Amino acid sequence: MNGRGVRLGLGLVAGALMLAALYMVFVYVPTEADQGIVQRIFYFHVPCAWVAFVSFALVAIAGIFYLWLGQQVWDDLGYAAAETGMVFCTLVLVTGSIWAKPIWGAWWTWDSRLTTTLILWLLYGGYLMLRAMAGDSEQGARFGAVVGIVAAIDVPIVIVSVRLWRTIHPAVLVTRQGGHGLEDPRMVATLLVALAAFTALFIWILCLRFVTLRMHTRLGALARSLALAEAAAQDS
Amino acid sequence: MVSSFTAVLRKDLLLEVRGGQSTVALGALSLLVLVVLVFAFNPGGGEQGAEAAAGALWVALVFSGMLGATRAVSAESENGCIRALLMSPLDRAALYAAKLAAAFIFMAVAEAASIILMVLFFNLEFDARVMRLVPAVLLGALGFAALATLLAGISSRLRGGDLVLPLLAVPMFVPALIAGVKASASALGGAPSSEFAIWLKVLVAFDVMFVAAGYLLFEYVAREE
Amino acid sequence: MTAALIEARALGKSFGPTPVLRDVNLSVEAGHGAAVVGANGAGKSTLIRLLAGLAAPSLGAAMLFGEPALSLKPALRRRVGLLSHQSFLYPNLTARENLEFYATLYGVEGARAAAIEWLERVALGAAADARVRGFSRGMEQRLALARAMLARPEVLMLDEPFAALDADGAALAAALVGEAMDRGCAVLASAHSPSALAELGFAILTLSRGKLVRGEPSTTRESAARPPLARQVS
Repeated sequence: MNGRGVRLGLGLVAGALMLAALYMVFVYVPTEADQGIVQRIFYFHVPCAWVAFVSFALVAIAGIFYLWLGQQVWDDLGYAAAETGMVFCTLVLVTGSIWAKPIWGAWWTWDSRLTTTLILWLLYGGYLMLRAMAGDSEQGARFGAVVGIVAAIDVPIVIVSVRLWRTIHPAVLVTRQGGHGLEDPRMVATLLVALAAFTALFIWILCLRFVTLRMHTRLGALARSLALAEAAAQDS
Repeated sequence: MVSSFTAVLRKDLLLEVRGGQSTVALGALSLLVLVVLVFAFNPGGGEQGAEAAAGALWVALVFSGMLGATRAVSAESENGCIRALLMSPLDRAALYAAKLAAAFIFMAVAEAASIILMVLFFNLEFDARVMRLVPAVLLGALGFAALATLLAGISSRLRGGDLVLPLLAVPMFVPALIAGVKASASALGGAPSSEFAIWLKVLVAFDVMFVAAGYLLFEYVAREE
Repeated sequence: MTAALIEARALGKSFGPTPVLRDVNLSVEAGHGAAVVGANGAGKSTLIRLLAGLAAPSLGAAMLFGEPALSLKPALRRRVGLLSHQSFLYPNLTARENLEFYATLYGVEGARAAAIEWLERVALGAAADARVRGFSRGMEQRLALARAMLARPEVLMLDEPFAALDADGAALAAALVGEAMDRGCAVLASAHSPSALAELGFAILTLSRGKLVRGEPSTTRESAARPPLARQVS
């Protein structure tokens, strides 16, 4: 009961923040001079990226705890984070593409941030495929933890190398604005609210997914106990 | 522990010499990959040719590396030998190191062949610039072997797991791939050695991180269910 | 009281929801032997795998030398030998090379000499330099037994040790196992039929549908002569 109340509360908070963010993005914030209306995607794109990276770190941390303590709850958390993070990571790529097309006339720019996110997306995908292949087993959890940790170690060096790649040999297309050249304070405010909204949304979805996985784990344990009881009954 | 490492490595090399055919297979794969890429890119000479050659070399490295790691690890799957190794006093980290060394050696031999083929196919010269390639390629092979040995430990345990290895190894290898191709291209194109040095540092950092990660994490991979 | 070298306490294993072993209790002390008998699929191999530390129990404990089998330290793993369904032999290495390799791993002094000695003991001296790939099943089984025993383990686990062996081979294996027990080794074996093991003085335990149905562990064995009957302590 308590858990359900918390989830409901989180959902409401996320919803409220989202509404505020939507208002600010579409009504409040002024249109950016260079890029026009399309630039508003930025306020979705950046928070999604932030969430995707945080989620990835969460997968790795959960993996470390799982290997160290051996408790299934950590694996459930890691798996939930991977699934949720994957969704947001996909959104980063999609919004990035939608943004790029009108501005630079290309569906994809190999700029350093988008490229890094693509690698992240591939790593997430690999993790999820691995878990799907390993099925519902302790081995799957262990392998997932190892992969999550290694992938997280990989990400910083991906960021560095991709950035070097782009500076030493600049991209064909001009690198898009980092988004830190926000002059208008209203833009900063909108970005912060959007960040909060997406973070809340992420936490809410993560909780929902996590709870579902926990229930699945408990069901498995119950099925085992039931099978044992049945076998014992058959003995006598 | 060193003696265990040596024992396992010696055994793997002995098995290879006895007709394991891994180095042959890796060499053949590298050759085929290079042939395909020559047709795919139809490279000219000069700087563009150097870039294409560097790229082709590293594509061959990645593909042959995946094969090499898979074979080094799956040498233990016949007759359940991996279980015997896990039951023995053999340190898991020593097992990882031995598998890594075996994969690296197979890859290094294949890379030597690849470099020669690359020079031939892409109309380059056997000069000092090609020599500069060697450290980059060796570092790249070491990094890939470290990564792929760990992942092969996972993929060999899963039914239909052969997809998992390339799926995970390729994105994880990207930093070393970027660094390796850039280092090789700058070596072949005669670019300033400062640029070459930067990329080499990235490769070294990659290697250190992944060898350490593999060393620490392999025991979690090598456990039985 | 001698501490049991091999011990299972309320050991259970389920694959998914399906229970394969349920509440298994047994203990084997030094110099004694226990034979687990049962039909195919009764869980004999799983039990041995759990006690060998190759799989994690779902419930209860599998212990060797008083420590959990799964996380045995290398120093203790040196003292355990396993004969499994799988031969653990490298097909492209010769018999001698296989034994030398494992002897080195187990820290046996004079690996080469030990390998040769054991090849003789399992009557494979003539095939020392032949590749295992060409071996008959009986030869493989004998070599696998040599592999399990060459480090003179204090705990020996044998999954169907007489499988694929002819009368001579079986007699050889029985002699080696008896010798190990005399040396103070604790032996746990599985078999379809218990006769050969009973003759060695093994306690016979029957596994049916994952449970030991007859008797708690008996580890008593007369020292000098080998009585044909196994005694069971309830």
